[in-house]
Amino acid sequence: MLLQQLTNGFILGCNYALIAIGLTIIFGILNIINLAHGEIYMLGAFVAFFLVTLWEVNFFIALVIAAISMGILGIIIERLVFRPLQGKEEINYFIVSVGLLIFIENGALLLWGTEPRSMALPYASQIVRFGEVIVTAQRLYTVGIAILIILGLHFFIQYSKMGRAMRATEQDREGAMTVGIGINEISSFTFALSSALAGAAGALMGSLFIIQPMMGFSPLIKAFVIVVLGGLGSILGAIVGGLILGMTEVLGAVYISSAYQEVYAFIILILVLLFKPRGLFGKR
Amino acid sequence: MGFKRFIAYLGALALLVALPFLIEGYPLHLVNISGIWIILALSLGLIQGYIGEISMGHAAFFGIGAYSSVLLTMNTGVSFWLALPAAGLVTMILGYAIGLVSLRLRGPYFAICTLAFGEIIRLIFINWRELTQGPDGITGIPSPSPIPLPFGETLSFSSKEAGYFLIYALVCLTIFVIYRIVNSRMGKAIMAIREDQDYAECMGINTMKYKRMVFSISTFFAGLAGCIFAHYMHFISPYSFTIGQSFDLVIMVIVGGMGTIIGPIIGAVILTLIPELLHAIKDYRLLIYGLMLMLIIIYFPHGIAGILKDLKDRCFRDGKKLGVNHGPAGS
Repeated sequence: MLLQQLTNGFILGCNYALIAIGLTIIFGILNIINLAHGEIYMLGAFVAFFLVTLWEVNFFIALVIAAISMGILGIIIERLVFRPLQGKEEINYFIVSVGLLIFIENGALLLWGTEPRSMALPYASQIVRFGEVIVTAQRLYTVGIAILIILGLHFFIQYSKMGRAMRATEQDREGAMTVGIGINEISSFTFALSSALAGAAGALMGSLFIIQPMMGFSPLIKAFVIVVLGGLGSILGAIVGGLILGMTEVLGAVYISSAYQEVYAFIILILVLLFKPRGLFGKR
Repeated sequence: MGFKRFIAYLGALALLVALPFLIEGYPLHLVNISGIWIILALSLGLIQGYIGEISMGHAAFFGIGAYSSVLLTMNTGVSFWLALPAAGLVTMILGYAIGLVSLRLRGPYFAICTLAFGEIIRLIFINWRELTQGPDGITGIPSPSPIPLPFGETLSFSSKEAGYFLIYALVCLTIFVIYRIVNSRMGKAIMAIREDQDYAECMGINTMKYKRMVFSISTFFAGLAGCIFAHYMHFISPYSFTIGQSFDLVIMVIVGGMGTIIGPIIGAVILTLIPELLHAIKDYRLLIYGLMLMLIIIYFPHGIAGILKDLKDRCFRDGKKLGVNHGPAGS
């Protein structure tokens, strides 16, 4: 029983981590808290859903298309919404992202209504057993893909030229500019990367749960909690934070009360902000 | 100039008194509802425009005021006139406690922390069924109790017209108190903190004390608004106090203009009346709000009040362009 719950928590945590990483790299590199991140996650889920159900595209190809299209959307959003605010106070980025959140969510509501949808994947209900623990095949795929994406991202940021430029910008914006790193390109690329991650996370979670226009807000808040818990800007923090939150929610729902499942994240958030505002792995 | 201004105020007051005799039914109801939103937006404007922080859980204080007054009047039979200040006080105490925690944070962290508190309170409204009757809400909330007058008459508060006078009396009280606060020593201190908290601290201003005071006062008025809302609508449920309402309020204050008193009033009136006046756009209400919020922040950080002031400066000061210098939004 406990082992099964821990497995469920781990699966949930991996997906949370994927959303949180997108949020944390935008914050770490550009100092922007993007509340519209959850809406991009929602759009990613819808893109994958339409590809899978209307055009009968293979789920894994749909996942890649969802990620790429959300990446492009990220570039557009950065250019239209965030770029004009460059040089103004940080709080303006935050407010503008609230506007974007409301705009995208309600646009999606007008287009697709509130009816819940779900991807019917043929192999989704196949069951895999590990001793006492039972996992569906789709969940296993989801975790596997999430781990692959996170590893790929790690190597990309650590060893590629763009990844190094991004880290340089994170450490010292002016310094990066003086050695010839184009801040605008970094900004575009960071948004593209972060939105692609959100799109992929949306497609993955959309294959497990219900898809509807309001699905983005709750994961956004959880991603924010994870980012604060793990330390803003820290990718390792996002992974550890994601796992902690996933476990807390699953165990809390079983052993305390499921009515307040949403509250656990908020309690963690408030406690961390008060007692360890830099989070577990925060530098600044 | 002084005389002109006096006439203008007198005209506004006359219009305010005459309004319920000019319109009736649903339009009057809308005016009343926007009055409640004016109180809320003004109270949030105190936090957003003067402390300079975005509070994203303000609807929760609205809800605390509503629930505490309803529970007082319906469960213990306290008169509305006692429950009104009591609701304000209960909200203020909770607001003080929440301010104690969240005001230690700044910027986006403060915003998310208040959002978290707002959501926790909403979930308590939904899940504490013995007290709040859960998601079904509470029905049959009485109107404000009638006041006995001499000669055996009573002043009843069950009609929309009476509701109008009660709500707008509170609006005037709110405006007066907030005006006095902003122009007091406390107001000066809080604005100094808004501009540069560390510097203000160096000047010997007890920043936390002032921030907590202003935050508590703001929640007091949100509580009053909640109480009057409950007894005017005769029904409350957790769905009136969600993050959607909190976002609406944030938008009202920003669109109207932060750091002014007129700004939140303009924002509240526009955002409650426009979707009703233009039925064609009613479905697109939130879509437009989101767009409006983005455009205002990018192009007009001082909101409508800032635009109006700019226009006035351009027209009356011989084309000399004077920058509007208030509100924390501009850099």
